[in-house]
This record gives sequence, structure tokens and C-alpha cells, in this order.
Amino acid sequence: MKKNQRQVSEIAPIWNWKITSLCAAFLLVIGIAAISFGPIQLSFGSIIKTLVGVKGGLSGQDRTVLIDLRLPRALLAALVGAALATSGAVYQSVFRNPLADPYLLGAASGAGLGATIAITNSHGNVYSLLPIFSFIGGTLAVLTSFFISGKFFAEPQSLLLSGIAVGSFATAVQTYLQQRHSASLRPVYSWILGELTSANWQVVTWSSFYILAALVVLISVSKQLDGLMLSDEESFSLGINPNRLRIIAVAAATLATATAVSASGLIGFVGIVVPHLVRGVTHRVTNRNLLTIALAGAAFLVLADLGARTLLSPAELPIGVITAFVGAPFFLVVLRRRRTGSA
Amino acid sequence: MITVTDLSVSLSGRQILSDISLTIQEGKWSCLVGPNGAGKTTFLKVLLGTASYSGSVTVNGSEVFRNLKRNVAFVPQQPQIPQGMTVAEYVMLGRAKKDGWGNESIQSRTFIADILAKTNLYGLQKQMVSHLSGGEMQRTLIARALAQEPELILLDEPTSALDLHHQIDVLNNLQILQQTGVTIVSTMHDITLAAMYADRIIVMQNGRVLAEGSSSEIIHSAELRTAFDDRINVFTLDSGRPVVIAKKDEH
Repeated sequence: MKKNQRQVSEIAPIWNWKITSLCAAFLLVIGIAAISFGPIQLSFGSIIKTLVGVKGGLSGQDRTVLIDLRLPRALLAALVGAALATSGAVYQSVFRNPLADPYLLGAASGAGLGATIAITNSHGNVYSLLPIFSFIGGTLAVLTSFFISGKFFAEPQSLLLSGIAVGSFATAVQTYLQQRHSASLRPVYSWILGELTSANWQVVTWSSFYILAALVVLISVSKQLDGLMLSDEESFSLGINPNRLRIIAVAAATLATATAVSASGLIGFVGIVVPHLVRGVTHRVTNRNLLTIALAGAAFLVLADLGARTLLSPAELPIGVITAFVGAPFFLVVLRRRRTGSA
Repeated sequence: MITVTDLSVSLSGRQILSDISLTIQEGKWSCLVGPNGAGKTTFLKVLLGTASYSGSVTVNGSEVFRNLKRNVAFVPQQPQIPQGMTVAEYVMLGRAKKDGWGNESIQSRTFIADILAKTNLYGLQKQMVSHLSGGEMQRTLIARALAQEPELILLDEPTSALDLHHQIDVLNNLQILQQTGVTIVSTMHDITLAAMYADRIIVMQNGRVLAEGSSSEIIHSAELRTAFDDRINVFTLDSGRPVVIAKKDEH
């Protein structure tokens, strides 16, 4: 009996909730830091009082800075970070490719083309239309990739290749348009680098609707996604309809990505760095860590945005620069550790 | 009992299986033998429910195609090996059907520990599956199939990656499983081993079933020799055990 118990304790449960809770706590701390720091420092106590709605909270300009600027921005950063990290992790499982990123199926290039069309064809304030155009562009590009690959998911690789082809095509059209309308170069370029400066409650509201819906779907199928790492026959024998699961997963991940791109432009590296970071630290590849990846992605982007706002204050760095600048070396360290480590 | 009636399969215009009618008995070990390209693996995929076919393949009256209600374990010849998954996690996937995805019970973990011990994998549970040797991977696949507690287990060349004594270990494990009432269908290149373990042998060639019957009658049949273009010899040892070896071409 004793021997048997020792055996069982050796077969650890597949996921440990402590790591997830730790990430949630980390996100909370980073979030509070993000809304306190900036050109105007806000005290922790007064922030809490304002948010809870008790007496002694912020007022006047400080209150506006908190409620109308920093809070929606931090929330949007968290949403976009969670969306990109989770989509990246899901694409990596579905395509069995560790280098798959959320922009793979043409979502990024399509959204870029949509945004360029909006910028080059309008006069005056285009920024309210930009999210809509980039959302349509991104979604259309992914649908085209699906359509071209034809057999849908008979071979995930064929979808991947058609995504690359559609992406290149959209980028070519975008470059052509930019050349024809050289005045649009700067706004398009700054959009491509990614920015959260346009965050307001309206953007937060509609993007949270799509992103949270997609995340609920992805996290609810996350345990089954482990089965997709096997061959289709094996996953079928374990009770999964692999094609149906792939379609659900890719559709939800694409919705999250397209929303994120249209709300904040192209923010690179989050979708690859964060999933691998979580896997590198936990030594677990299982998709049960999807919630952890979402929380870590949110924290990562809130932190990156804090850096973007404060490093060269009062000037702002594009957040995409921060994520790549910090993300790439960090990523290499994790990769190296993983190769030499016990995993 | 699995009833196969007028089964045909064609893939992109090529006929893989033609007009197969037979029954596979419950609790027996049936072995598919035949040369490469005979359609053995496709037949296994039909029985699993993932290959589309014409004709009918039924278990207790319901068609097997895309039927996720059955509990069928599948051991492929060349598995897709996930990166970064431990042996214990890999074997635990086998509990998905019984416990639901991600709800492994304590009892299941006890069960997995027992299976790992039985398949000589205990001690390797924290190893990554991608770092296993061919033989260890094969036993891990068998362990996952055992964890499934299936009604039917399908194995595609379960011994081809193994050295001789591990072949016997794996087949013995399957035999113990069979004695608990599980139906086994496997393909096997080694006809001597097939005759040693299987109750029934199904001889296939070019997508057709040439003969089907008990191992002892099939092993000496003309159909078996025909399937291999008459290039095999069947000997009988003093113990009465048949041995099948390839003929050396005589020019």
C-alpha cells in the first residue's frame, strides 16, 4: 500500500494552479504600477480610493489622467497582450510548429493593408475608422488563406503556406499604395510599429467583447488541444474530432488576433515570446497552461507599455520596439536554457 | 463483433481496399498480414473510424465511421511525437475518454503508475517523450493504449521498432490485455510472431482479403504463399511451432 502511494505521488497532476495564481498576482502588481507611474505620479492609496469610489480619491486633472488615460490604456494593453500570447500558443499547437505566431495566416498583413487603405483614402480624422478597416482586412486575409488551402485542415501545413502567400500579397499591395501616397508613409509606419496611444473606453469596450469571447472559447477547449499534438488518428482514438477542434481553435485565435491588431497595430514578438517563456519556466508544453499564458501575456504587454511611456518620458517609444528589444534577447536566453537544461 | 460488408476504400482515385466482407470476433486477437501496399494500415484506419469507405462496417449495429462513442485505442507505426511532454503526461492522455479531458482522478494516476510499472517504464515518467529510444517510445504508446481501457485496440506494426526480447515483452502485455476480454487487431510483418500470438489471421494482398481463418490453418495455406508471390517458406519446429522465412532467390 505504502509503495503504491509513493508511485502515485510520482505521477504529478498535469497542471499546477500555483503558477497560474502567481501570474495573476504578477499581472495585478504590474497593472497597479502602470496606472501609478508616468509624468504625473499618482499615489497607490488615492488610486484605490478612486477606483472603489470612497472619499479621499483623486479629483480634477489627476482623476482624468487615471480614469480617461491610464486605466483604459492599461486595460487595452492587458487585453491585447492576453489575446496575442494565447493565439500564438494555440497556433503553435494547431500547426505543430513552435515558430507559429498569431500573424501567420495573414491577419497582420491583411490588417496592415486595411489600415493603409483607410489612411490613404481618407482626409481628416481617419483614426476612428482605422480599427474597422484593419479588422476587415485581417479577417478577409485569413478567410482567403482558408479558401485557398481548400482542403481546410486535411493538412495544416497547406493552410500555413497559403497564409504566407496571402500575407506576402497583402504586403505587396500595401507597399504599392504607400509608394503612390507618400504622405501616408508616416502614419502607416507608426501604426505598424504598434501603439496604444489611441486607447479610450470605446476601444476597450468593443475589443474586450471580442477578445474575452475568444479567450473563453480557447481556454474551454485548451485541455483537448493537447490531443492535437498527436497524429489525427491518435487524437480521434482519444475522443477528439481533430478537424472540428482545429477550426474552432483557429477561428477563435484569429478573432482575438484581428481584434488586437485593429485596436493597437502590430505588436510583434508577444505571441512567440510569452508562450515559450511560460513553457521554458514551467517545462510544460501542455495547453492547460493557456490561462497562465494569457495572464503572462497581459502582464508582459502592460509592462512593455509602461516602459514605452516612461523610458524616454515625456516622449513615447512605439511599444512594438520595446517588445522586440526586450523580448528577443530574453527569448534567446530562454531558448538556450531550454537546450542546455534538463528538459 | 465487428461486421465488415462489401468494404471498399479509394483515395484520390486509387483503389486501396476492394470488396472486403468478414467478421472480427470479440475478445480475439486478429492479425492482418500481407506484403507492403496490401492495405493493412488503411483497414486499421477504417476500423478506427477515421478513413471514409463505401460498404458497411458496424459494431453492434452502428457504423464505425467518425463514431466517437466507441473506446478504441490506436497504436500507429510512426507516432507524431510531441515536443516537451513527459511520459506520464503522454500516457495520461489515454484517460481522456474515461475521465474527460483534464479531469484525471487520483484513481487514474494510481492506474497509470501501475501501467508504467507493467510496461517497464516506471522511473521514466518524468522523461520527455521526445528523448525516448525507439523501444521506449513503443512501450509508451502501448502504455497509453492500456490507460485507455479500450474495448478494441488497433496496432500498426507494434513490434517493428523493437529488438527481439522487447517484441516478446510487448506482445505478452497485449496477450494479458486480451485475456481480459479486449479485442485486438494488429498488422504484423513477422508472420511467425503473428502465428504465435494471434487467434485469427487475415491474409491481404492488393487491397483484397485472400484468406481468413484460425492461425494454425492459415499459416500452412496456399493463399498465404500466394500473397507473398510464393517467396516464403513455412517450416514446423519439433515443438509444433510454425516458422515463416523468406526464400532466397534461386537463380
